[in-house]
This record gives sequence, C-alpha cells and structure tokens, in this order.
Amino acid sequence: MANQSPTREEDLVNKLKTRFPEAIKSSKIEGKRRISITFDKDKLLDIAQFMRDELGFDHVKGVAGVDDPTHKKIEVLYFTGSLSKPEIEDIILVLQTELARDNPTIATAVSVWESAHFHERETFEMFGVKFEGHPDLRKLLTLDNWDGPPPMLKDIKFPEMGQR
Amino acid sequence: MYALWPVHITTACCSAEFGAMMGPRLDPERFGLQAVAGSLRQCDLLIVEGTVTKKMAKRLKIVYEQMAKPRYVVAMGDCACSGGLFHDSYSIVNDVHKLFPVDVYIPGCPPRPEALLSAMLKLREKIRREEVFA
Amino acid sequence: MTTNPDQTKPPAPPITITAAKEPSTLDVSVGPQHPGSGHMRILMRVDGDYIVSVDPDIGYVHRGCEKIAEYRTAVSNIPHLERPCIIDAIHLNWGYVLPIQELQGVVVPPRGQYISTIAAEMNRIMSHLYWLAINAGVFSGHTTIFMYAFGDRDLFIELAEMLTGARLTYSFLPPGGPRRDLPAEFQHRLLQLLDYFERRLVEYDRIFLSNPLVVARAKGVGILKREEAIKLGVTGPVLRGSGVKYDVRKVEPYGAYADLDFEIPTFEEGDSYARFLVRFEEMKESIKIIRQALEKMPKGPIARKAPLIIPEGEAIGRVESSRGELTYMVKGDNSDKPSRVKIMNGSFRSLIAFPYLLRKVHIADMPIIYGSLDYWPLEADR
Repeated sequence: MANQSPTREEDLVNKLKTRFPEAIKSSKIEGKRRISITFDKDKLLDIAQFMRDELGFDHVKGVAGVDDPTHKKIEVLYFTGSLSKPEIEDIILVLQTELARDNPTIATAVSVWESAHFHERETFEMFGVKFEGHPDLRKLLTLDNWDGPPPMLKDIKFPEMGQR
Repeated sequence: MYALWPVHITTACCSAEFGAMMGPRLDPERFGLQAVAGSLRQCDLLIVEGTVTKKMAKRLKIVYEQMAKPRYVVAMGDCACSGGLFHDSYSIVNDVHKLFPVDVYIPGCPPRPEALLSAMLKLREKIRREEVFA
Repeated sequence: MTTNPDQTKPPAPPITITAAKEPSTLDVSVGPQHPGSGHMRILMRVDGDYIVSVDPDIGYVHRGCEKIAEYRTAVSNIPHLERPCIIDAIHLNWGYVLPIQELQGVVVPPRGQYISTIAAEMNRIMSHLYWLAINAGVFSGHTTIFMYAFGDRDLFIELAEMLTGARLTYSFLPPGGPRRDLPAEFQHRLLQLLDYFERRLVEYDRIFLSNPLVVARAKGVGILKREEAIKLGVTGPVLRGSGVKYDVRKVEPYGAYADLDFEIPTFEEGDSYARFLVRFEEMKESIKIIRQALEKMPKGPIARKAPLIIPEGEAIGRVESSRGELTYMVKGDNSDKPSRVKIMNGSFRSLIAFPYLLRKVHIADMPIIYGSLDYWPLEADR
C-alpha cells in the first residue's frame, strides 16, 4: 500500500540514512524490533554519537565478533538498545561492520557508550580486534587460561573438540 | 579425625549441590562438617567442585599447599574427575590428580547432595583405616 | 567530518581506570579462592578503611562455552549452555532455543508455552532463594536465612525433579517445546507449596528484610542513580532497583506472559536495599504468575517436531533471566551445528558496576554491594 506511515523501525533507519548517506552501507529490518545496519568502520564515533544523542540508543548490550575466513574478514557487531526512551525500548539495533582479517582495528566506542568497556576487552582477546583508544585494553578471560592466538578464530581448531 | 572441616573451592556448578548438602535437609554438621574455618591452616578437606580451569589450577595448588597435614581431597563431579562435559575445551585441566593426590571421586553432573554426604562418610572410613603417622 | 561543538570538550575519563598507587594505599586481593559464590578476584586499592578503586579480575571459571557451541550439534548444545548459571537453567535454555525456533520456523503450541512459563517462574523463585541465602545472607553474615532459604529451595527442587527428571540441570526445552507434560500430581502439589511459601515470605521479611542490622548495612549503600544505570548498561534487578522499569517479559513477551497479569517491581532509591527489595517482590510476582498459568492452562499438544538442521541466517532472542536480560545471537549455516553463538547475559553486564560502585566506600560495604548485584561469576565467564 502506498502512503502508509513508516513504522518506528523504518523511521529510525531513514534518520540514520539521511544523516550519514555514504557511511551507512546497508540496512535490514528483520520483523518487529530488530534492525541491522552495516556501516563504514571509520565513521563509528560519529554514528554512535548521533545514535546516542539524537535517536536515544544509550547502551550497548554486547559486542560480538564473527569470523569469516572465506571472505577474509572479521565482523564486529554492536547490539544497542534504548532504556531512556520508552517508545523504542524494545528495539535491538545491531551495528555491523567488517574489518580486514589480518589486521582488524577499529576505534573504541567507550567514549560514547561506556557500557562497551568489558565487551570490547573480551572481543580483543577472543578475536584479536584492536580497539584504538580503549583505556585499558588487556586480556580479560584468557589471562592465565590460554596463551596462544585468539581462540575464537575459525582456523584455530582444537582437534579433540567434538570428538568423543 | 572425626570432624572434617572443608575448604570448599566452588570452582564451578557443583557448588550449588554442595550448598544444598550444607543446608538443613541433610545437616552435615551432625557429622562434624562445618564450613566455618577462617584460615586454611585449620581445614583438612579440600573439595574440588566442578571444572578446574588453568587459571584456577595454580591457585588450587597454592590452597592445597597451605593446608596443614593430614589433608584430604575429594573430587566432586564429572569435571573434577576427568574433565566431564567440557573435557575438550582449551582452558580446562582434565587431570586434577596430577596436581595433588585425590582420595574420593564422586561422579555425577552434578552429583546429588546425598552422594556427596555418602562420600564424606566413605572418606571417614578410609581415614579410620589408614595410619596417621605412616 | 562533523563540526559538533561538544567535541571540543574533552571526554570525561572512564570510571574503570584504576587509581594511581599512592604511598598511603594498600593493594588487597579479595579472592580468588571463594570470595563469595564462585571464583573471581577483586583487586582493591584501599586507603585505611576506604576503598579507593577496584579492578575486577575474572576468568577463573572460563570454560570456552562459545567455542564449544560451534562444535556440538544444536540440541546437544543445550546441556552446555545451561551450565553457566546452573541455578537458572530454564532461562538459559529458553533463550538459546528462541532464535533457533525463529530460524527454523517452528512455533511452540500454547500448552507448551504455558508449561515453559511455569517452569521458568519456578526457576526464578529457586534462583532468588539461592541469592537470598548466599549473596544476601551469608555475605552479610546472616546464616539463619541461609538455612531457611535452602530448606525451602529444596522443596521447589523436588517439584522440578517431578516435572523434568533432574534436580538442577533440566534440559527441558529442546527446539519445538518442552519434553514432558505435567505429571498427574504436579498441579496439586505445586499449589500447596505456593501457599506454604507465601507464608514463609512473611517470615523472611521479619527475619531478614526488616532486621535492623541488615537495614543499617544496606540502606544508602552503593547508590546507583538512574542515569548512571542506563549509561552503564546494567540490567535486571540492578536496573529496576534504580528506577528504570524494564523487563523483557513486558517489552518483548515470550511464552505465555502476554496473557498473564503481573507487575514489574521497581524502586527509585538505587541503593543495595532497593535491589534486595526488587528480588523479594519478584518472588511474590512469580507466585502470582504460576497460579494464573495453572488456572488458564490450555489443552492440546505440548511440542512440535523441529528439524535437526539450523537454516542459514542470523537471529536474536532474549528472555528475562533472574539476573537480567539474557540475549542470544545464533548464526546458522544450514548444518546441524551453529556457526556462531553469542551470549550476552546479565552478570557480564553488571561487571562494570563493580569499579563504579566500589569507590569511596568502607571495606565492610563491599560484601553488601557485591551481594546486591548478584554477580554470578560462572555466567559472566561462560
């Protein structure tokens, strides 16, 4: 139907696309309450600041890394939500970007979203992603547990794993 | 040696069943088991409950060395016996018996609190049979 | 290129920086051997009786659940993923199967949703009783409530054993719905237990919550203001104790919660006592939910058969566990093993509250603040 008023999700995506036309590469609305936005990694701080101050996404639920050796990239996902604006408090907006697999670096989001502090430390040690500007980037969970390369990468195989 | 005071290392999930054993249903205090010792020197029983990670294994060894002899070790749960559910993970120590000698193994995931209490009684039998000043 | 005037102001230093070592300070290590419930270490920098700053050191129970999840099939992952918080196993299980069911297109029938809801609320009561006994009780030196709460918890565990067959590790919800229907005697015995437990909650209030010692230790201690709670991204009772009314059961209803009538207890003060009260009131609300669900239970099948393969795609599912919003992201690649499972749980999100709240407080306030946050190290480390 034409001339239908946009849903909340479409409205948020439109606001982001109008503000950052080149930095937002693609977007996907997966049903109700789930938005996924792929962006250019150099614009993280600008997009994050806009999302926090204008749109009301004030915290990060988690930061995930996803390894993709066939396409030689590591994806970093920020799961953001809003607790201060009741009209969008049920939406999870996933900010997704791709980093080169042999040298994954991205600016830290801690200056905008302080809740990302420990999540970024975990992604650093599990995938090797360096967050530039992080105040305290060191190993969190694998400090004395594992001394090898970042364990969550797909080519770090543990041959006994899965065998009985 | 009739009242064993445990220092329980709640390494992992089996600690929930250790807590259930210390509760009022089974009342281990009638057997002398009280988790009251403030210092490790006063404890004689080390209960390794659950999965032992490499990070924790170093500290477990330190705790074991701090206990005064005679001291006994109980490996509670599948993970402490042989690695259990997480045996193939990268940060797990599968063989706790390489860190220190284990007296009683309790299989189960997690073992019932009745099994843990029965293991305590078996341990007391074992202590009664052995010579302390060997 | 943005010309935001706010960018000229230097950003405030993050609160997680450990304070510099002064000659008057002493480094004290709390833990790693059993500081409370499970292993973690808090490196405190103290100056006399005051804590200057802390540095949480975790990872003592890191078992690599996310890596293992890629090597096990979707269904055999369930026992692994419910071990992180074994006293709250139904929620960890449910949060994992929600995205898988979404990818597979399986819809659980209504009777199955109601049974899952009843099991989940029983689990919430059990987890809060464990919290009351150990984190709120033993940490503050109140071992009487430890005995009371553990005695009552065992009664709930007996009923859970009747329903699922296991005391703590239920593995009750494979994709498609619960494994077993309600046994014949279950409803009658559960209603009897709920009547008994309601009377016991009044006693707990008299022994513990209204105990002048507990009130003196917990009131006004560890205040987390509303804006700070939102900024730090905490969740669960920590968030609701600071005045933010947010609960996944109301925000994104799953199971049978859309048809049931219950409140979300929220308190404004933000201190440790408010967080105690939130969990206490949640137990009362859980009793209400279970009674309604038993009354309105529909008839019909309890589960649908789900395929063993996870189709290609990515899905996010979340539930309200006892420690907060538990979010799972599952990525499938058309095989029987998931290609990535990401777990975001309430304990790991509360970790940032440690360096934030444990500043300029007495050392004796540390166990109370730790207990009120209900940090479960196993869940945070996975």
